[in-house]
Amino acid sequence: MKWATRAGIHIDRAACAWLIRRDLDPDAEFVFLTDPADLPADATPFDMRGADLGHHAGDCSFETILRRHELTDPSLWRIAEIIHEADLDDERYDAPEAPGLDVILRGLSMTGDDERTLAVTTPVFDGLYEYFRRQDLLGREPA
Amino acid sequence: MTDASEAAPAAGRPSGQWVLLSYRLPREPSTPRITIWRKLKRLGVAQISDGLIALPADARTREHLDWIADEIGEVGGTATVWHAQPASRHQERQLAQAMADARAAEYRAVLAEATTARGLAPGERSRTMRKLRAELRRIHRRDYFPPPEKHAATTAVNALHPDHEPSEKDTAS
Repeated sequence: MKWATRAGIHIDRAACAWLIRRDLDPDAEFVFLTDPADLPADATPFDMRGADLGHHAGDCSFETILRRHELTDPSLWRIAEIIHEADLDDERYDAPEAPGLDVILRGLSMTGDDERTLAVTTPVFDGLYEYFRRQDLLGREPA
Repeated sequence: MTDASEAAPAAGRPSGQWVLLSYRLPREPSTPRITIWRKLKRLGVAQISDGLIALPADARTREHLDWIADEIGEVGGTATVWHAQPASRHQERQLAQAMADARAAEYRAVLAEATTARGLAPGERSRTMRKLRAELRRIHRRDYFPPPEKHAATTAVNALHPDHEPSEKDTAS
């Protein structure tokens, strides 16, 4: 399937793309739009104004996708807290990882294109997921 | 397909490019009005007139205002986002100065609290330091034209760390 979002991706779009490939569509193909009007007819938009998979009721797009697709994995929701704070910074959650990740993503967008940001962040989100999964199993900070 | 050089340069000095949000919200209910206003305040917007606010344009400010515009639509209001250039440098400087003044007042409040905290017991001093560091981070986020007060406030907060020997050096400006 084809998925589309705005070009110049930051943390919410990078995390959404990771989540889409991981849980919704392993063969997802991403299109990055400079002009939202160029949305291909066969693409599902995310993290774009007016899209269903966007910001709603104070949620960032990553949270919206989790809700719409009824993904309840606590490790994904822990990542959602980080994405929310890095993106919206409204202190809804306590996510000390957020400011660091926010800066890293901003730096990536300054040094490479969106494809590269996805390539770099995919293993980062995989690692975060594994960390929180183990933390959840152990009930303490994993080694 | 994408071009990294499109990323807008960060705002620091007035660059001539601003993003405006023009909006109307229903009087009632008042909760969404307050929520939206808090979000705008948090972003450190310059209020140009009733229902018209401005921020220096960069990728982040544009995106924030886009989402807030969407949210205003969701609660029954109307909003449009504009890219604009002030017609005169003088106007722009006034706008930037008003924003810098607002931040300067916030930094002065942090500085005052940090200065008072120097006389506290070590535990209390550390607690205040952590609180003020979080407050500084919040101010940095909306500080587009950093005023001189930024440095004094940061120095005073860092001086609350136990590794900094309390000294009688005057950090007040």
